[in-house]
Amino acid sequence: MARITRRELTNLLGAFGVVATLAGLAFGLPAVDRALPAQRAVRTDRPYPVGAGISVFPPPGATVDVTGTRPGDDQGTALFRLGHVRYAIAVRPFDGDLATAATRLRQRITGTSGYQVTGAQLAVRTADGVSGLQGGYTAPGRGGRYTVFVTAGLTIEVTIAGDDLALARMLPLIESSVRTLRRDGEPR
Amino acid sequence: MTEPVVRPARSEIATLTRIPAFWVVVVLLAVGAVRMVQLAGRFFTAYPKATLTAVLLFALLAVPFWLFVRELDFLEREPPELLVTACAWGGLVATTASIPGSAALEDLVAKLGSPHLAADWGAALAGPTVEETAKTLGVVAIVLIARAQVNSVLDGVVYGALVGLGFQIAEDIVFAVGAVALAGQGDQVQPVIATFLLRGFLAGVWSHTLFSALAGAGIGYLVVRRDRGRGRRLGAAALAGLGAWSAHVLWNSPLLSAGLGNGAPALVAVLVLKGLPPLLLILLLVRHVHDREADYYVGRLAMLRDPDLITQRELAVLGSGSRRAAARRYAGASAGRPAEAAVRRLQRCQARLAVELSRAEADVSDGSAGARCAEIREQRDVLVRLGHPEAVTGPRSWRHAASTAATTAVAIAVLCVAISALGGG
Repeated sequence: MARITRRELTNLLGAFGVVATLAGLAFGLPAVDRALPAQRAVRTDRPYPVGAGISVFPPPGATVDVTGTRPGDDQGTALFRLGHVRYAIAVRPFDGDLATAATRLRQRITGTSGYQVTGAQLAVRTADGVSGLQGGYTAPGRGGRYTVFVTAGLTIEVTIAGDDLALARMLPLIESSVRTLRRDGEPR
Repeated sequence: MTEPVVRPARSEIATLTRIPAFWVVVVLLAVGAVRMVQLAGRFFTAYPKATLTAVLLFALLAVPFWLFVRELDFLEREPPELLVTACAWGGLVATTASIPGSAALEDLVAKLGSPHLAADWGAALAGPTVEETAKTLGVVAIVLIARAQVNSVLDGVVYGALVGLGFQIAEDIVFAVGAVALAGQGDQVQPVIATFLLRGFLAGVWSHTLFSALAGAGIGYLVVRRDRGRGRRLGAAALAGLGAWSAHVLWNSPLLSAGLGNGAPALVAVLVLKGLPPLLLILLLVRHVHDREADYYVGRLAMLRDPDLITQRELAVLGSGSRRAAARRYAGASAGRPAEAAVRRLQRCQARLAVELSRAEADVSDGSAGARCAEIREQRDVLVRLGHPEAVTGPRSWRHAASTAATTAVAIAVLCVAISALGGG
């Protein structure tokens, strides 16, 4: 039987070192990430900055999920969770009108396998008077609502998703929160 | 005694299968290929036209990079199998590890710092840390499977650049299709074109190819310069890796871009302030290691003192890519395309002889010096018959100067259009 030479052993150890480092990157970092909690308490009595100068009052009982929250100067996202309901807001530069923004969001929703838009769109308005469009969608085992606003060269996309029971219970709180979306002026 | 710029070694490419690391690398490439094919399959299903456009555009972008690296590698050519392996590592393995790793690290920045910190610095910290590590491992893998092939710092640069090129192309395609999805307009190619202009055309030069070339230089130094202490070699490799990481961090960071707005001048300012300094520094380093390697090999040929094999004036030409190209152009202008092709073959044969002479000095010759000399004499005879016996540069031609000026003008015009289109200026 052929013996493994010292050179081959060193070579093999080096290769395992490469594999171990790659595994650390591809599996180790995600494992550490999963081990740390993502949700933080958030005050509901003050506006939470979403990004690009847009803020919102989070609904009572919400926590903020920091993995989906990136408040930037010219765009941003905020992700809140209320139990099993996911309440996401995304703000980004946009130079079209409200109908176009709604169409694009609907296309992105239906672009996900198993997602379908349901019913007609309704006109909605924030407390500050910004007009938006709202609709619903379904996905396997869950339902959702989307709302789009266009203001000052920005599109604000709101998506709310969860199982039907939880969604029905939380929806009034979240829709109240959506109406508090406002532009605070200068980005942070 | 001169410093060992090059460590000559016998080519062992035929015995790769006997090396344990080779099979480990094969498995990693296979896993990466499966993962990336799955990703590409999803892209093609959702956006077939946009994905095909992205693949074609970014594959085309790879061509000039590949040619540049091959010209850099002219004198002591690396085996195509290893070059392809390096490129595949970048496009398949490094990307497969980096996609989940970078996302997790950015989330960790948000968790351990804050969402604000992650928004501003997440991409600047997570991307470079994970991606530069994964790419540098590609050069380490090449060293493990074919250590004899990495026999100069320039070889490390070449393998690093190709790992970076593979990564850059794969990442750009992912970004382009991501832009299509984000646009929410279905299977449209406009977001692909915009991504190509920004990430490929404007930002492509100072991207992964450049960063990984620097990291590869460090690995090359670590492997080749055994005349230096282990600490110094490790320090140099770490410094090169840190340099690659820092250049990547600077490029991804919000530094210097705040307050510049989103217009065309801001885009130019960002490119110049954040891209140009690392680009120039790394290109200077690459030129330095290229010239040192060229001096070494040309020095081997100079010792022959045989004008049939290489003349004094050809010695001055062979070490420089631009002078080699000028000599080919001059041959073409004075004796036609056959002479241009013969000069190219002569230069290749001279380079191969130089490598063989260096191996003979190190007692690792395969005894092919005689055959190499015969190849050179054959090409010399062809050139003599064509009335252009020496592969040298001619006087600077107005046609070449005009062609260079026109190409530069077109490049600047395209650059202005791209900046204007993306910056809204």
